[in-house]
Amino acid sequence: MDKLLADKHIAVRRNVRTFCERELRPIAAAIDQEARFPWEIVEKMAALGYFGIQVPRSLGGAGLDTVSYAIIIEEISRVCAALGLCVTVHNSVAVYPLMAFGTDGQKERWVRPMAQGKKIGAFCLTEPDAGSDAGAVSATALADGDHYILNANKVFVTNGGVADICLIFARTDPAAGRRGISVVVAERGLPGFVVGDLEDLCGMRANPVSSIRLYDCRVPRDHLLGRCGQGLQIGLAALDTGRMGIAAQAVGIAQAALEEAVQYARQRRTFGAPLENHQAVQMMIADMATQVQAARLLVYRAAALRDKAEPFSQESAMAKLFASEAACKVSDAAVQIHGGYGYSKAYAVERYYRDARVTRIYEGTSEIHKMVIARAVFQNG
Amino acid sequence: MLNDLTGNEMEKSVTTFHTIVCIKAVVARAPRGKIIRSTENNRFNPFDRPALETALQLRSHYGGRVTVLSMGPPANCAVMAEALAMGADRAVLACDPALAGADTLATATTLAAAIRKLAPCHLVLFGTRTSDSDTGQVGSQTAVALDLPLVTGVHALSPAERHLQIERTMDHLVESFEVDFPAALTIRPEIHSPRDIALAGLAEAFDTPKVEMLTLADLDLDAKETGEPGSPTRVLAMRPCEHERQCQFLEGEAVDLADQLIRQWTQKGLLN
Repeated sequence: MDKLLADKHIAVRRNVRTFCERELRPIAAAIDQEARFPWEIVEKMAALGYFGIQVPRSLGGAGLDTVSYAIIIEEISRVCAALGLCVTVHNSVAVYPLMAFGTDGQKERWVRPMAQGKKIGAFCLTEPDAGSDAGAVSATALADGDHYILNANKVFVTNGGVADICLIFARTDPAAGRRGISVVVAERGLPGFVVGDLEDLCGMRANPVSSIRLYDCRVPRDHLLGRCGQGLQIGLAALDTGRMGIAAQAVGIAQAALEEAVQYARQRRTFGAPLENHQAVQMMIADMATQVQAARLLVYRAAALRDKAEPFSQESAMAKLFASEAACKVSDAAVQIHGGYGYSKAYAVERYYRDARVTRIYEGTSEIHKMVIARAVFQNG
Repeated sequence: MLNDLTGNEMEKSVTTFHTIVCIKAVVARAPRGKIIRSTENNRFNPFDRPALETALQLRSHYGGRVTVLSMGPPANCAVMAEALAMGADRAVLACDPALAGADTLATATTLAAAIRKLAPCHLVLFGTRTSDSDTGQVGSQTAVALDLPLVTGVHALSPAERHLQIERTMDHLVESFEVDFPAALTIRPEIHSPRDIALAGLAEAFDTPKVEMLTLADLDLDAKETGEPGSPTRVLAMRPCEHERQCQFLEGEAVDLADQLIRQWTQKGLLN
């Protein structure tokens, strides 16, 4: 696999893995159980550039390419998917739209501190009645002189409990339907900015997923990102990149589950032989390894296309669909190989199994991705 | 040439305090005894990282610059780039087919020739050993080839105005030294935890490669002194070794168990 990668990518993987094994591995199970956001590690990651992976160095970022980004998310998620989630969401659907659609002033104001990890970003699209159906958002940002007045009830906001800079999808023109949706940046601490209780989730528990509610929040007009009515376009562009991050995260979880299963199959003996000698287990391991490798190739391919400035939307949708389904299948098989122990929190596969499940749901469900892919296939003949 | 740096010259050149750190790209795996030197299989010798960290911390104190030096094939460039990403100012790789097959003596000869080219310098640092061949000889041999004062196994070091205060532990005694420049040191890993490499550093080091290559001709060396011809020792064969483990349960009272353990360890030569 690594033959497809440049020396830089190999070095990035090695260094990120070393860091994660040393810093994250020892606490990954505990922060999952405690549902605790590990600030002490986040600060170290911030200092090393994990919060501005693709931001140019002139803006305080690391200036890496998309393939490196995918590798970094994969490696963090291999050890702790919840922190992989924090880093990918911050980089892809918070920082990237600001980079792509922001003015120089907005980049200086928001992207620079975000790239240095001094401020954490969140993407606030989903509402109780809008998610996959993004055009159905009911949040509003109504112009009032030099300000917008924001009212929103955003739910399942990844990083919500710690986010400083939130991209709010809201209707600036309630009469204009899908074309009336815009992105307005709201900063934590604003009067009327309320962070809801943290969600008690099945997996990804170390990520402070919460609701964010805005009650008559006044933000200056220059907090509008891009043009008025450009919201869905910004959202789709962000999600093209974001879903690649989630796909990379799914690869990381699947890889971790595969490694645990292989290790367990070597040591655990049944019927007088290690599990690895039983053909039933060999078949499962072969399927798992193939799924992981295929998912990884799809992710790297989408990332490489993006680096070459070629269209990658379809490829990233395929990567997200395949990798998230693979993560669920592989972690399920890893639990199966562990038998009863795999159902116990004493073994890491139990966490991987829970963490994998949401990758099929967030940043576009598998079903939405199939719609995206099918549309592209029919369009391209 | 290195020893020509007197105190006065030291004063003049204090703004350009120069440390050369000799590093090695070690082999991570050698399946079936076959050594493959590739980016995938090469690692920055973990015992050299604390030496580079020491140099970087000394640079923070004295200012100046840090050069990393290595010998090996072009595949080692990735490890050199990692050293640049970690903070080294310059990376120099002695790279020539005539250098292949070197043992520790031929390696030291080559490194010494390169260090002469890179002089003036105040300090030459080495790790104490490597995680692959693990001879622990190259640092000492290079210092001898350069006729440099040498302290091996340094585990603590503090910079003073014109010298280093150094400690090393030998036979349960802590030895303290005051070492003038220039000098060579082999650094024990416990001296400093090497810093993590920032992602921006990796991007920069790999996107704008600046590893400099030195050939045999650049080094003013004769092919007879280097590589296999310059190596008095030969590796005849490599084979994986089997580590056989035994598990034995002892029975009895605690005092009796302790006696049994001590007897067994003594018989196996683990205690004396």
